[in-house]
Amino acid sequence: MKGIFLAKIKMFMRNPWTFLIMIVMSVGFALILGGSGNFTTISVPLYATDESVRESMVGEMLDESDAYSFKWLSEEEMMGQISSGKAEVGVELQENDFNVIVGVSSQNTKMVQQTIKEAYTKKAQYSQIFTEADATTSSEKEQVQDELEAALDEPVFGIQSNNFRGSNAVIIDNTFHTLFGFTLFFVIYTIAYNVFYILTEKKDGIWDRVILSPVRKWEMYTANFVYTFITGYLQVAIVFLVFRYWIGVDFQGRFIESLLVIIPYVFAIVALSILITGLVKTVQQFNAVIPIVAVSMAMIGGAYWPIEIVQSQFMLFLSKIVPITYGMEVLNGVAVYGYPVEDLLFPISILLLMGVMMTGVGIHLMEKRHV
Amino acid sequence: MLELVDLSKKFKQFYAVKNLNMFIEKGEIVGLLGPNGAGKSTAISILSSLVEPTTGDVRFKNSSIIKSPGPIRNVIGMVPQEIALYDDLTAEENLQFFGRIYRLSGVELKQKIGEVLELIGLTDRRKDVVKKFSGGMKRRLNIGVALLHNPQLIIMDEPTVGIDPQSRNYILETVKRLNREKEMTVLYTSHYMEEVEFLCDRIYIMDQGNLIASGTNEEIKRILSAEKTIEIKSDRINEVFVQLLRNDATINSVTEGEKVVTIIVPKGTKAFGTLLKYAEEAEIELNSVDVQEATLEDVFLHLTGRALRD
Repeated sequence: MKGIFLAKIKMFMRNPWTFLIMIVMSVGFALILGGSGNFTTISVPLYATDESVRESMVGEMLDESDAYSFKWLSEEEMMGQISSGKAEVGVELQENDFNVIVGVSSQNTKMVQQTIKEAYTKKAQYSQIFTEADATTSSEKEQVQDELEAALDEPVFGIQSNNFRGSNAVIIDNTFHTLFGFTLFFVIYTIAYNVFYILTEKKDGIWDRVILSPVRKWEMYTANFVYTFITGYLQVAIVFLVFRYWIGVDFQGRFIESLLVIIPYVFAIVALSILITGLVKTVQQFNAVIPIVAVSMAMIGGAYWPIEIVQSQFMLFLSKIVPITYGMEVLNGVAVYGYPVEDLLFPISILLLMGVMMTGVGIHLMEKRHV
Repeated sequence: MLELVDLSKKFKQFYAVKNLNMFIEKGEIVGLLGPNGAGKSTAISILSSLVEPTTGDVRFKNSSIIKSPGPIRNVIGMVPQEIALYDDLTAEENLQFFGRIYRLSGVELKQKIGEVLELIGLTDRRKDVVKKFSGGMKRRLNIGVALLHNPQLIIMDEPTVGIDPQSRNYILETVKRLNREKEMTVLYTSHYMEEVEFLCDRIYIMDQGNLIASGTNEEIKRILSAEKTIEIKSDRINEVFVQLLRNDATINSVTEGEKVVTIIVPKGTKAFGTLLKYAEEAEIELNSVDVQEATLEDVFLHLTGRALRD
């Protein structure tokens, strides 16, 4: 078994292109189609009537904003961007007040207004604190500010905040949806084309040679299964790592859990590939069937679009028999809804059951066929 | 050593092998001859324990391998018709892989790989990936893989298909050496008469799943001892000439080729005058008329009415 496994690894190292292409495709599609989510910030032009505003706490807070990218421009430039439609909204900042200039009314108008208001409120709070602390010079103000920030780092009372929603409420996060959807979709190809080697090895007589050797058949199947599982899982892990550490998607703090709950899905897809290998008779048939199965599963199982928006009862029924539905369910459950892993045992069990059944039937079909 | 008893294999309604009886003694080179689709590959798949027969038995050292394939698997080396190698691995890595599955390791494996590479003439190319090899080199490595574990019986299923004459000669000489120097028993299937004539002590001829002749080279040729083969060459062989030959009751068999017609007639037949007469009637000019000794090809033609490579 070790020999078979080592040979597979050597071949993989010599020809990793399919694997790499699938990773690039997963990352690329998730970035392009998920790009309208959290990956970009909206640019908002700013104009300050007084230069001191830019140097003040308000200016600093706006420069550090994650939600919007505030650009400091002249009044003419700002008005030009709004009137030409390049910017939806612009802001005129005064020392203690501001004006929001709206070009196109949208949800962003209120959000921008809210962000600016927060900055001015904080400035007013600090100003009051400086007055109470009798800090007049800039060094005194800095000292008070440092003390205040130090005190805030170690508060006397901790505050825990929570969001509440109904049990049937649906959260659709485009970033996570495209990331999970395309990762689960493209890994099907990597896994399937690795399992497919069993078919070519059988056709070429390599399996006959191994059957005649002291190596047992279960060792051959296990080596192929483990190798395929590892490459599939490695692909998912690499895509997640790219998004976590390069793109900056934090998985809502559930990165490790996301990597763990995907294991049953990869197992089920390896099993599905074995089943398909057992069903088809030729390499050509396999090549034709895999894209059909992968694309239809992705559509039915909610990898391309959220399953929550599907109304057809028939499509929803079909979604219950494809592994990708449960793969999306466990990943969304962990990273989007924040469920503990115990709450996801049902979809995990279904994936494991699918895996066991499809492996059994697939191997039986492969064995039944005349070599 | 190995015996096939009333062996049949049926796929749906089609018999790939029907009532096959044959035996192989230790140290022999036995040829299994027949055209494509004769049932040779099915027969060797059964006797190597890869496929179960529909009826009949295969006995290795007096024990059935159908019930217990272990003993024969330990002693056979299989050279399949396909190139059963990993294209992305080097020659040495392929040998390492197949050596490991036979539980060879360390110094023993290294030594054995060296020996095999030397035998098949690929020592200089050991580090090259197989996909860069010529067809002949792949065939040689395909044989080498089957020799790693010192098999007593080596089964070769058309090992020279699609290669150049030099590689073919190299392989045939290698098979001879294995038999002579290492006393390996060889079962060699082919549809090339000349290979089987060159290599084999005994021959079995199959056609459409049936065994149609068996014996030594000479014994088989004796089937045609009462007949002779005449090869007639002409640049303008036409249908009239061929039809005249076919209508002649003294001619047992007529086979038409490009610018050549081969006939089999009973020994003692004075055919020369008749052939000239037919040529005149068909208005063709004969280039040559050769009377030949019977070959295995002629025997096959005689037994089946078809050329071996049809």
